[in-house]
Amino acid sequence: MWCSYSCGSSEHSLSRRGFLAGALGGALGTLVSDPFSRPAFTRELNKQQKRVLMIWLHGGVSQLESWDPKPGTKTGGPFLAIPTSVPGIHICELLPYTARIMHHLALVRGLNTAEDDHGKGAYIMHTGRRQEPAMKWPHLGSVCAKLLGEAKNPLPGYILITPHGNGGVNNEDAAFLGPRFASVSLSDGHAPANLDRPAALTETADYKRHEFRMLANQRFLRSRRTAQTEAYTNSYDQAAQLMRKRDLFDISKEPPLVVDRYGRHDFGRHCLMARRLLEGGATFVKVMHSNYDTHHENFDFHIEQLGEFDRPFASLIDDLHDRGLLSSTLVLVVSEFGRTPNINRLYGRDHWSKAWSIALAGCGIKGGSASGKTNAEGTAVTDRQVNGGHLFHTYLSALGFNSKKNFYIEQRPIPIADPKAAPITEVLA
Amino acid sequence: MIPAPTPKIDPTKTHLVKEYKHDSPLLGCRFDPSGRFVFAGAQDNHVVRWDLESSKKTLLTDHKSWVRAMAFAAKKKLLFSGDYNGRILAWSVDAEEPKPTHNIEAHRGWVRAVTVSPDGHMLASCGNDQLVKLWSVPDGKLIRELVGHACHVYNVVFHPDGKHLISADLKGIVKVWDVTKGEAERELDAKLLYKYDPSFRADIGGVRSMACSADGSFLACAGITNVSNAFAGVGNPLIVLFDYKSGQQKQQLRPKTPWQGTAWGVVMHPAGFIAGVGGGNGGMLWFWKADNAQDFFGLQLPNNARDLDLHSDGRRLAVAFFDGAVRTYSLVK
Amino acid sequence: MLPYLVLLRLRFVWVLLILFPAGVFAGDPLHQRIDQAIAAAKPDFARLAASSASDAEFVRRIYLDLTGSIPTADETRAFLKDPSLDKRPALIDRLLNSAEHARHFGTVLDVMLMERLPDKYVPHAPWLAYLRESAAENKPWDQLVREILSSDGADPRNRPTAKFYLERQAEPNLLTRDISRLFLGTNLQCCQCHDHPRIDDYKQAHYYGLFAFLNRSSLVVDKKLNMAVVSEKADGEVSFQSVFDPAKVTKRTGPRLPEGPPLKEPAVEKGKEYVVVPAADTRAVPRFSRRALLGPTLARPDNEQFKRNIANRLWAMMMGRGLIHPLDLDHSANLPSHPALLKLLAEDIAARKFDMRSFLRELALSQTYQRSSEQSSAGNEAEPTNYTVALLKPLTPEQLAWSLMQATGLTDIERAEWSKKLPAKAAAYTGSIHTPFGMAVVALFMETNNKEVTLYARLSPHVAPFVKAFGSLPGQAQEFDARLDQALFLANGPTVRSWLAPRPGNLIDRLARLTNTDALAEELYLSVLTRLPSAEERKEVADFLAARSNDRSMALQDMAWALLASAEFRFNH
Repeated sequence: MWCSYSCGSSEHSLSRRGFLAGALGGALGTLVSDPFSRPAFTRELNKQQKRVLMIWLHGGVSQLESWDPKPGTKTGGPFLAIPTSVPGIHICELLPYTARIMHHLALVRGLNTAEDDHGKGAYIMHTGRRQEPAMKWPHLGSVCAKLLGEAKNPLPGYILITPHGNGGVNNEDAAFLGPRFASVSLSDGHAPANLDRPAALTETADYKRHEFRMLANQRFLRSRRTAQTEAYTNSYDQAAQLMRKRDLFDISKEPPLVVDRYGRHDFGRHCLMARRLLEGGATFVKVMHSNYDTHHENFDFHIEQLGEFDRPFASLIDDLHDRGLLSSTLVLVVSEFGRTPNINRLYGRDHWSKAWSIALAGCGIKGGSASGKTNAEGTAVTDRQVNGGHLFHTYLSALGFNSKKNFYIEQRPIPIADPKAAPITEVLA
Repeated sequence: MIPAPTPKIDPTKTHLVKEYKHDSPLLGCRFDPSGRFVFAGAQDNHVVRWDLESSKKTLLTDHKSWVRAMAFAAKKKLLFSGDYNGRILAWSVDAEEPKPTHNIEAHRGWVRAVTVSPDGHMLASCGNDQLVKLWSVPDGKLIRELVGHACHVYNVVFHPDGKHLISADLKGIVKVWDVTKGEAERELDAKLLYKYDPSFRADIGGVRSMACSADGSFLACAGITNVSNAFAGVGNPLIVLFDYKSGQQKQQLRPKTPWQGTAWGVVMHPAGFIAGVGGGNGGMLWFWKADNAQDFFGLQLPNNARDLDLHSDGRRLAVAFFDGAVRTYSLVK
Repeated sequence: MLPYLVLLRLRFVWVLLILFPAGVFAGDPLHQRIDQAIAAAKPDFARLAASSASDAEFVRRIYLDLTGSIPTADETRAFLKDPSLDKRPALIDRLLNSAEHARHFGTVLDVMLMERLPDKYVPHAPWLAYLRESAAENKPWDQLVREILSSDGADPRNRPTAKFYLERQAEPNLLTRDISRLFLGTNLQCCQCHDHPRIDDYKQAHYYGLFAFLNRSSLVVDKKLNMAVVSEKADGEVSFQSVFDPAKVTKRTGPRLPEGPPLKEPAVEKGKEYVVVPAADTRAVPRFSRRALLGPTLARPDNEQFKRNIANRLWAMMMGRGLIHPLDLDHSANLPSHPALLKLLAEDIAARKFDMRSFLRELALSQTYQRSSEQSSAGNEAEPTNYTVALLKPLTPEQLAWSLMQATGLTDIERAEWSKKLPAKAAAYTGSIHTPFGMAVVALFMETNNKEVTLYARLSPHVAPFVKAFGSLPGQAQEFDARLDQALFLANGPTVRSWLAPRPGNLIDRLARLTNTDALAEELYLSVLTRLPSAEERKEVADFLAARSNDRSMALQDMAWALLASAEFRFNH
């Protein structure tokens, strides 16, 4: 349950001093108070806006074909390991471009999330918690939208670029943080819904109708202004600002050579859009690459999928670095789980959460590091075993937060990250 | 003396002869042309040689990755084995302790198939770098590159006329090359063996095995079709049989009893029938005649089959299995 | 059709209600005692309090609160013109007895009880029909709660009532949390593991006392019935220990309400514990059911928390804020803004046998409810908890959708279809129903109530996109939130835009026919904002149109949109 061992009561030494001040998310009408709204925190963050890029390898990428290769073993499969820009760290030959930027990356190779179901695994990797019947935890994206996002930023705090599916707001992602911090899907990289002015409405007419709306508001609000009316009228200003940022969602504004470097396939285009959005002030962008659920033909599929992944990913890291953004952008490459060391009769690998890997880069991350080890055939973690809770602490720590703080919902303290876990300090800068 | 009557080839009497066991799943198998050995590539990067008679097992250990591509230069008693690290090694077929005699850095990425020309002078290979390459058998030197495929090239065979090479790729495009000019003469359509799975967002299929009839009139391409779920390999085995001359599809050979999986091996018997093996939900061996889309005989195999070869005596088949065994089957009662 | 039959069946009840609109109680009527209590709680109240709401403010507010939509322009016009002194009480009564009220109140109950949990086991329509019928027959709250807490879903006749359990997977912890929140106004969730660390009143024993009613229950997909139902075992005791307790002392409890006496459980003869013995894929039915006792034990007039909770929730629905706020944190460290008033309301609603309609009527009759939302200059010092000024209530997703359909004339078009069949005189009648003619009209309208059901069925699919854009998360109480995606939905989305496009009988069509700009401004403001325009506004309308004489139809749509998107429309004020 959500409050076991962590109620913020005096018995638990998790001090809530200073965090109730300012309290209830005020103008926005939400009941969640922001633990980092203290001036000291805010000042610190404003120095440099921090962002997060999450690359979601949907279906469960094979750790053996990516970050933790075991060539020449019974479980290793046909691929070789290649050296990287970091002496001593080898990764799978399917990632040659990534190997060149390994000095920016940190690997976590001792992951045991103990959950082989897609939905539940994804839940752990998005929330840092296991599912509980009476408690829904917010996604990292929502937490970051809440903690890092600025109220004035018209871009959604948590943007999800999916290869397919419907666009729109995924309310449930934000759980108790409220739908304001839910992810907004850009299906196949299309701009958010309703961003375009209706065709029949000219820019001038649009301006005029808003002018009329504001005139009406002025009169009404003269004697009735509240936090809620402010939030409502502001939402139109934010919408207008986002409409002006329409170009951020349009990669045809990029030079063709750049588009080529990222690749003209979905993932390449989506990585390029992610870069545009991050440059344009987005707080959290998740790019989804589909699909790695290779119960059949694991090797052929990994050639294809990682072949798509490798170059745009490396280009994106390079570009962020070149623009001076990498040090303030936390990058994660994650999945719902890894894949079995055992190779099945269909040349497939199945779901596997007991010993797998993820990669991190950027803000707060010690480039060129690797934490955790698995045994020779990759069937068990032998050193520095961690779970989804540790990852969540690590992400927050990398972004400069004390991950042991609480959220407060209606005065109830909610630990932001699982109190039973802690950050993986070895991969932190 | 009156010679003993030659036993009649009868596929419907096909039965297991012998089992040769390795401790790693196998990928491919070939009889050597002399008929003494069967070779198999395994998931432990080894090529395994068994003496058919004595079952003596010898490991060829120099590959660093998986081997599925194997072909022989009969006169020179050479085995060429191509691996998933892009390398082709040449071996003396019957050496007591085989060591590679040639080491060809052949392709970037997997070598998917190799084949030797009827006259034994040329080796052809194909791979994930979308190339088909011709090599000189005596010295392992590159003769020419055949450029034209736009995706992984899965298979390659020489036409018995020796002047043409046939290659086939992931997307079911089959190209017929003029060997001397190095140009593609024409294309055959085996696209039924390919699909882009839109929900998985990946390609699935490819010509997993290819065979030409001894008289050169038929070409068979094997693989998977009707894929409804690429993740799980839900689809049906299919062998597309072409009339070589016209390039038209002659027949789509399918199991009579619906079956799920991939056709991993196909051979064309000089007696005029076609044999194929499937791996998926278990293993199957089927026999077809060119004039009927449905098999006239099917034999359930003990495990997922992954490759098939025909012995030079025409009486035995070798099947490579996921369970690490090569099993030989007799076509004679 | 079921709703039609039910409505016919209810006719008798309705007539009784029309004849005896409210219970009569000793002393001053409740609405006066409410006003006395509110005034007494704040020194200098009279000076600080806003004036009474104008007729226009009142008519919009009461329609939204009681029917879930703004009134039609004609209804507003008639109300504004009506010179009678009792027109407000008359309107309150008419609306409370309308089919629209039953539909709206059913939706309010649905959102409150189900909190938009997905319809996995019980479809939404029959559940909503059950709530609407309950509202139509003015089913007392305690009875409704008992019905909801007693059904296991196996009997097709009351299967919809099992939705409360089923959509929560009959999970005892989830149910304990929601029953404590929704029926007792106390969120005991934190007490699952220990006494609440900061709320002294909330004990772990309270949690497990409630839990013990439910711990033997579980969701089972019954093979024979071919559906999910609630199954219950005859055994299973509840024990708990506090995670804070170093000694790890294990405590036990049987079923009991917080602070209530332990429930007496009958001894059941060994071997005869079950009516239906537990088996795989079968609903087990014990001879003695703990769960069956939950409703009768909890929904009682002598259960203080039960009374306070419903009184507070209905107050919040009408007044925009609970006397206890948040609604589910009733405890001694979070006192009501008006403790004596809440006590009075709790006693009163129990005394009137949980008759919610008459209770709502009293709230609506109070000056507190009928106060203007415009602050007087003195009122600047006012706190929302003082009720010196009416609070702005954001429209719920449903209210917003229905009001937009009404304002743009979509509803009018549909309504025109069936009102053609009513005698013109009756159809136009908007006066009191306490006259013979009024009663006759009511009877006539009841005849055509099935048409209202049809109207609802035709228009309700339009509500879904609003629930999607503006609704709260499944399992959470509706909260106001203003986001840019909502603004984009209203500003650029196809839904509202298509409703604004001219169509015979809709708002823009009606406006386009008016050549007189003054008349046009009146129709526009009455239709959208439920009031007449000021002189200033009439001029603004004229100016806006004058500047766009070459694309008048678009100009009308733009102007109507601007008013629809205004804060005045977005809030119930």
